[in-house]
Amino acid sequence: MRSLRSSCTVAVLAAGISLFAIQASAQPAGVLRVAVGADPATFDPAFNDLPVGNAVDLAVLDGLYRLDPQNNVQKNLAVDSSFSPDGKVFTVKIRTGKTFSNGDPLNAEAVAASFNRMLDGKTGSIYRGLYASLGTVKAVGEDTIEFHMAEPNGHVLMLLASTAASIVNVKAVKEMGAEYGRKPVGSGPYMVERFVGGEGFRLVPNPKYSGDYPATLKAIEFSVVPEDGSRMALMETGAADIVERVPPESVDAIKALKDAKVVTPPSMFSINMEMVLRGPLADPRVRKALNMAVDREGITKGVLGGLGTPSVGMVGPGTQDELRKTFPPIPFDPAAAKKLLAEAGYKPGQFTLSFTCPTGRYIKDVQVCQALAASLEDIGVKATPLVVDRGTWSNVVGMEPDQRKDNMGMVGRATAGMDYTLYRLFYTGVGANRTGYSNPRVDALLKEGRATADLAKQREIYGEVQEIVWKDQPFLFLWYQTQAIGVSNRVQGFAVQPNETLVFDKVTLK
Amino acid sequence: MFVLRRLGGALPTLFAVSLLVFLFVDLIPGDPAQILAGPSASNEEVASIRTFLGLDEPLLTRYGHFIRGIWDPAAATSFRTHRPVVVELAERLPNTLIVSIGGLVIGITLGTLAGIVSAMRPGGFADAAITVLTLAGISMPIYWLGLLCIWLFAVNLGWLPAAGASTPAHFVLPILVIATRPAAMFSRLVAASLTETMGKDYLDTARAKGLSETRVVLAHALRNSLVAAVSVAGVQFGGMLGGSVVTETVFGIPGVGRLLVDAVSRADYPVIQYAILMFAVFFVLINLVTDLLTQWLDPRTREQERSA
Repeated sequence: MRSLRSSCTVAVLAAGISLFAIQASAQPAGVLRVAVGADPATFDPAFNDLPVGNAVDLAVLDGLYRLDPQNNVQKNLAVDSSFSPDGKVFTVKIRTGKTFSNGDPLNAEAVAASFNRMLDGKTGSIYRGLYASLGTVKAVGEDTIEFHMAEPNGHVLMLLASTAASIVNVKAVKEMGAEYGRKPVGSGPYMVERFVGGEGFRLVPNPKYSGDYPATLKAIEFSVVPEDGSRMALMETGAADIVERVPPESVDAIKALKDAKVVTPPSMFSINMEMVLRGPLADPRVRKALNMAVDREGITKGVLGGLGTPSVGMVGPGTQDELRKTFPPIPFDPAAAKKLLAEAGYKPGQFTLSFTCPTGRYIKDVQVCQALAASLEDIGVKATPLVVDRGTWSNVVGMEPDQRKDNMGMVGRATAGMDYTLYRLFYTGVGANRTGYSNPRVDALLKEGRATADLAKQREIYGEVQEIVWKDQPFLFLWYQTQAIGVSNRVQGFAVQPNETLVFDKVTLK
Repeated sequence: MFVLRRLGGALPTLFAVSLLVFLFVDLIPGDPAQILAGPSASNEEVASIRTFLGLDEPLLTRYGHFIRGIWDPAAATSFRTHRPVVVELAERLPNTLIVSIGGLVIGITLGTLAGIVSAMRPGGFADAAITVLTLAGISMPIYWLGLLCIWLFAVNLGWLPAAGASTPAHFVLPILVIATRPAAMFSRLVAASLTETMGKDYLDTARAKGLSETRVVLAHALRNSLVAAVSVAGVQFGGMLGGSVVTETVFGIPGVGRLLVDAVSRADYPVIQYAILMFAVFFVLINLVTDLLTQWLDPRTREQERSA
């Protein structure tokens, strides 16, 4: 009896110790200092459009689903989901017993309220159109949410996994108004403790968090430093552990530091010259000639300082890798390009075109445009780069094709989801198709692809669409940007999504 | 009375500024709705955001809304943060004022001292050194000087933080950098006008009274040479508020200048409009203060004021 009792005591003690050990190892420790280049205006997922805002939303809010560092969809609040047989009702079951950081319950009703807020025209969310297919959202009981879809959409998981679909506490939004954008009340592992506009913000663990991604750091301190040189100086002086957006000219200097390195994860930013398909550019031979005139290897190495990978498909890595298809790179062959132009009836110097480029929107955009103009000169095309400010650029590339006065525009596309990206760019007459591209086969495939939820079928459909687009060449395909982030050696477990969102889930400090 | 009259006289100016600001902002390339919606947005999405922002309203209604926002914070909210513009400005203004006023005070002090030294011993070694430094101070772009200072004091010597605004130490470099221009301007100005005054008869009178040369320069000559310097200081201060755009970007200081640049690049119309209007009010006030200072320094301007 005695021995039994003592062994029980030992067992309980042992259990206690091991419990304590687990607790101790999970105790958040260390302060991570991050220097970012862009100044987030708001963390409200209905309005945020910056990667740094995504990073904060990922840490502070929960979504039904979330994206892992490779942009694969993973369950978060959701435990189960199903489509009704007609594909019109999508039902999600969520884990119960969670609360927001202010103690409000996070139940089906709160989730439905969050979605309905975003979909309400009065909110003015910039993502309302993107999520319009969700239709109306209803809570059934404590743990079930029904999306009564406006149209069948087999890509709903991709939509729900974006940080734009994070669950906000609508009650807190009503009480706090615009301040909610600075200190969002969510159910994620961290919460915003301090926000000083333009200077920085600080995340601390959310004591009410329960879930699979508990906080590992005692605090994450962000400082906003827009000037590249000054931001790099923070890394060089050891005042920051992570610096965002290392410019090509500083990569070597950061690499040379004793206790830091530069990580270069791929970015889904697919940079292209999007053509306006009329006049000479309506001729596939001309488009092919232009595509063969560009030395992508040379420009990514020489101008981008290695922060680019020549395109092997329209969509960038991470767009939705399970559906992405890649092709052999386009050869750099000025002689063949000249021949093609001659076949199309253009003698050297006869063909002129202009293209619009932004300033400071993409890595080395202005220099790249000069290099492209020179490449096109080499095959006898008189090309004029129109380098403009970002406001003008966004106006020009947002115009209807028939209003455009130029022939091409430099645009980077980085939207998660194959359906979203391809449908908007290539479906005939859709309000975001700025090239005027129209191909009945592509239209049919995109329509079919949107309605199907079957992965194998989607793979087949989107594989064909990507192949047609790659062959039709409505763009002068260029490259995918490469991210460059300076990371101190004391940081471990740091990851970055292809959409430039920093992921702090597993970060620890040495 | 004079102050009130001057302020009243500024009203038409401010009204004209409000009209110009309002109309010119419309001319900035870029549609706020298009920029907010991003390059992948469809026409319908852009249109719905435009309606939400009230950009569909007729011009006159929007101008009325803009004027209303001057006293009603709820009517003037940023397109991006949705917070009242006055809150955004109030949060950033102290940083801008610390840097500008700090830079101006240090610049004027150093400049005046250097000017006196130059004027006392024209052609001497100190004068030559000051002239060279002054020339460098006037010609060196603030942007470049800022980066050089970060490189030297933050990266190499490690004395001061490179960027940010969380501690007083963060303000040292920007204030010193921004002080170079007024220091350079002032040393030239004070030196020139002192040299000119030094030959005046009334200084001989002062010397004949048996005053020391220092006393003569500081109490008698300097006061007269400051008249011109004060109006230059006013202009410099205005220029510094404008120049804050550059300094704040280089040193990562969250001030009004950077807020304005961000607002322009993202077409955040309300922030641009009210920030510029606020700068206009500042200019009016600065002019008023320089006039008052001039009157205090130079009694002749007061006489004219009375007879007018």
